[in-house]
Amino acid sequence: MFTLPQKDFSAPTTCLGPTCLQDLGSSHGDDLEGECSRKLDQKLPELPGVGDSAMLSPDTSYLSSRGRMIKWFWDSAEEGYRTYHMDEYDENKNPSGIINLGVSENKLCFDLLSWRLSQSDMQRVEPSLLQYADWRGHLFLREEVAKFLSFYCKSPAPLRPENVVVLNGGASLFSALATVLCEAGEAFLIPTPYYGAITQHVCLYGNVRLACVYLDSEVTGLDTRPFQLTVEKLEMALREAHSEGVKVKGLILINPQNPLGDIYSPEELQEYLVFAKRHKLHVIVDEVYMLSVFEESAGYRSVLSLERLPDPQRTHVMWATSKDFGMSGLRFGTLYTENQDVATAVASLCRYHGLSGLVQYQMAQLLRDRDWINQVYLPENHARLKAAHTYVSEELRALGIPFLSRGAGFFIWVDLRKYLPKGTFEEEMLLWRRFLDNKVLLSFGKAFECKEPGWFRFVFSDQAHRLCLGMQRVRQVLAGKSQVAEDPPSSQSQEPSDQRR
Amino acid sequence: MSHWSDTLPVPSGQRRDQVPRDHSIYPQLLEITLHLRQAMREHFVQLTSRQGLSLEERKHTQAIREKEALLSCLICRMINLLQSEAASDLELQVPLPSEDSRGDVRYGERAQLSGQPDPVPQLSDCEAAFVSRDLSNRGIDISVFYQSSFQDYNAYQKDKYHKDKNTLGFINLGTSENKLCMDLMTERLQERDMNCIEDALLQYPDWRGQPFLREEVARFLTYYCRAPTQLDPENVVVLNGCCSVFSALAMVLCDPGEAFLVPAPFYGGFAFSSRLYAKVELIPVYLESEVTVTNTQPFQLTVDKLEEALLEARFEGKKVRGLVLINPQNPVGDIYSPDSLMKYLEFAKRYNLHVIIDEIYMLSVFDESITFHSVLSMKSLPDRNRTHVIWGTSKDFGISGFRFGALYTHNKEVVSAVSAFGYLHSISGIAQHKLCQLLQNTEWIDKVYLPTNCYRLREAHKYITAKLKALEIPFHNSSSGLYVWINLKKYLDPCTFEEERLLYCRFLDNKLLLSRGKAYMCKEPGWFCLIFADELPRLKLAMRRFCDVLEEQKEAWIVKQLEDAMRE
Repeated sequence: MFTLPQKDFSAPTTCLGPTCLQDLGSSHGDDLEGECSRKLDQKLPELPGVGDSAMLSPDTSYLSSRGRMIKWFWDSAEEGYRTYHMDEYDENKNPSGIINLGVSENKLCFDLLSWRLSQSDMQRVEPSLLQYADWRGHLFLREEVAKFLSFYCKSPAPLRPENVVVLNGGASLFSALATVLCEAGEAFLIPTPYYGAITQHVCLYGNVRLACVYLDSEVTGLDTRPFQLTVEKLEMALREAHSEGVKVKGLILINPQNPLGDIYSPEELQEYLVFAKRHKLHVIVDEVYMLSVFEESAGYRSVLSLERLPDPQRTHVMWATSKDFGMSGLRFGTLYTENQDVATAVASLCRYHGLSGLVQYQMAQLLRDRDWINQVYLPENHARLKAAHTYVSEELRALGIPFLSRGAGFFIWVDLRKYLPKGTFEEEMLLWRRFLDNKVLLSFGKAFECKEPGWFRFVFSDQAHRLCLGMQRVRQVLAGKSQVAEDPPSSQSQEPSDQRR
Repeated sequence: MSHWSDTLPVPSGQRRDQVPRDHSIYPQLLEITLHLRQAMREHFVQLTSRQGLSLEERKHTQAIREKEALLSCLICRMINLLQSEAASDLELQVPLPSEDSRGDVRYGERAQLSGQPDPVPQLSDCEAAFVSRDLSNRGIDISVFYQSSFQDYNAYQKDKYHKDKNTLGFINLGTSENKLCMDLMTERLQERDMNCIEDALLQYPDWRGQPFLREEVARFLTYYCRAPTQLDPENVVVLNGCCSVFSALAMVLCDPGEAFLVPAPFYGGFAFSSRLYAKVELIPVYLESEVTVTNTQPFQLTVDKLEEALLEARFEGKKVRGLVLINPQNPVGDIYSPDSLMKYLEFAKRYNLHVIIDEIYMLSVFDESITFHSVLSMKSLPDRNRTHVIWGTSKDFGISGFRFGALYTHNKEVVSAVSAFGYLHSISGIAQHKLCQLLQNTEWIDKVYLPTNCYRLREAHKYITAKLKALEIPFHNSSSGLYVWINLKKYLDPCTFEEERLLYCRFLDNKLLLSRGKAYMCKEPGWFCLIFADELPRLKLAMRRFCDVLEEQKEAWIVKQLEDAMRE
């Protein structure tokens, strides 16, 4: 059964438990892909703050209690969704509409992609593509995926099509993996801040929770950078989860990281994997941004490139075309795992996460076209990402706003703490709302389970004219706000951490 | 496997840590259980691997194998439980099933050895999933349930009949697919209007389905279901297949362990969809073939039967949340009259039950004298907030590989809750565009597709039923769907589900995949479902194999009679 959010959403600072078990609600005030935001004043309907599902209007509802919970997910997400979609910016039709710098989509390369997808090799229709097929995905596609990943992940030995399962997107993969690896109520560890929609993906069907490994911006001890993940922090989070009686089954790593844009070095990765092995944890490595590393110097390495995995049977890699090929609407994701039990179990659920045969064919054609990818698409995409990134980061620098970004992904993790006088999540939400009122949609840190109020994620992978306008609107808001703000009371922003540890 | 090789399986019972950290009994129990399994396995191999068995002994062997499978499953469950406990105490490695033990080619092998007992115990598939350190219990359940339901289908996928390349491959008359109009569909989907790549199609969609597609679905259903008023796109949710819609509905209407009533026999996929994710029970409302005073037609659904099943379930403490109806019915092929449909709906209303109506075959009614009445055509629904309609293109347009299913419900709560699953059951924007174009073109559908499809279905049905009549095989005469529901009772001696299974295996051995009544929760052994929506040459060959098997079965029966007589 679902455990309902036990805390009132209007007091988010108190939600920062060491695990986000009771915290389903607060991480789901997001929209579209679950990353944007919801209204500050939104509370769980008729929810007095106790985990009793019966409180969600049971008498009038046609739904089961889990159905009411699921509906709540949707409704809360729809708020932000509606606001944006009812007033979407359009250069000609709605120039005063909302600019979306909140959803992580790459809108820089539609020209290249539409061209490629309109080529005659994409239009093939044949009976076998229209009929039931292997639920793991058509063999021709799995072969292509294996070759593609071998090449781009630089695997020491060729990857095998048997280890590939194809589904309709990364969300489905999280759902299926959670279901087959965990019992209901069990948990995955995840370093925060993280892509918040995962909470919903693992919860809807799987009823699996996320136990947060809280990272903070302050560089202490042996840390070399803000929000650094270390084995000590993993150990501590795991212990805490255990002490609360939560059974942890695995660890989720996103590499390149979302929203930090950070990259784990091969050594770090190895350490995390060894940690996981020590505790017999599965590791799900989400590499959905692996080809969106636009700074060569970042030195990204896929987990599939490691010579030796500490625990190959418990290491499961995810990739999708949503980000790297800027096609979130295409719904193509894939699992690579050497564990045949896991592959088979996930495939057993693929009936529900199937991808149209015609689209499978198109994906195979796309992934196969190494010349176009290497010579046209990737260089162009990286150049455009880099230009957009440079623009936004310079804007931020000019404003004297600190931020983090290491040359991967579509976003910059921006530190707006100095604009929050009291350093609370209420203020973070107010600021977010002020942005939205000024017609620019951003994602706030709380949606990523960030424990420090005041961080925002800016998505920069959009066309220049929209980006300029978006940043202009951001500037206006901050200009109006910045006078109010004092220096960031650093002690205050540390408070939650003191309470917790 | 490949380069990740440093955790090669360690032989059973060997410990990595030589010194146990405490004296938990789990590792010991685990080892004992592993030994037990090994011993059991050897014993069964001995029992079943003798050559030159008589027919009766062979049947006996089958029975032994069933037992073996059961025992093995139980032991594997034990091992699994023990492993999870033992793992926390000791690093104890259990051999992983090696790759070649995964019986991919099992049926291929068996078919070649047709008539001989299988020298290898039939455990490999099951076991691969069962003995897993890595899956959760529900993961194991899902895997095993899937494999046991689909292993024959997977065998078929790997060894499909092809008129030139693989003449000895499987012919599948067991999966409900319409392969009669592939030419039309292929052509239609290649037309220019189908290929459109717009930015919006490549971006995150509305998770309920793109607005243009939901509008089209509403229009389409208004027209083809003859809805009295225009249907509302806001009541439509579009997902990647009807099984996804059903799964999502089961999630939001029931809590785990709660139940739906379903008249049986019914489409086996529902059992699947209710169990894998949702953990909802399907309670069969058993229908009978025999015509009696109360049962005026074979497999007739009456309110009395519904009521009886409901009360019985309640008596057993089950919480029934809804009723599932398939109309046109699968596998019987019957169509509910508006009157009876109304009665079922009123019954549901009386007991506050949701009604899920699956109308996925609504355009596959091939007898022109019969009119299908969609539930959406009713002037007023007894309980419209509890009536949810499912339709998809898989059957009516023969494009099961397209993955499209739609929900239509007036209930806004259900719409919202099911929409949350849009993340997990989404359809590619490119495919949504094609579907919209397909549904939009009513002229082509009305003038080209539907007439041709109905004609071809009718012809194929005619061919199959003529064959069946010639073979004097009784069947349920219907005029819709892609299948005939046939009665092979007279080939079973004794008439049991075990015999039904053996006959099914005999078909398989002859490379013919059929569906048996048990898979549809039919109460009476001996019924089979035969999908006829296939091209004539394949259908002919399939029927030849079908006749051969029945011949074989008859001979075997005679031999058995003789043997029995001689013994006496």
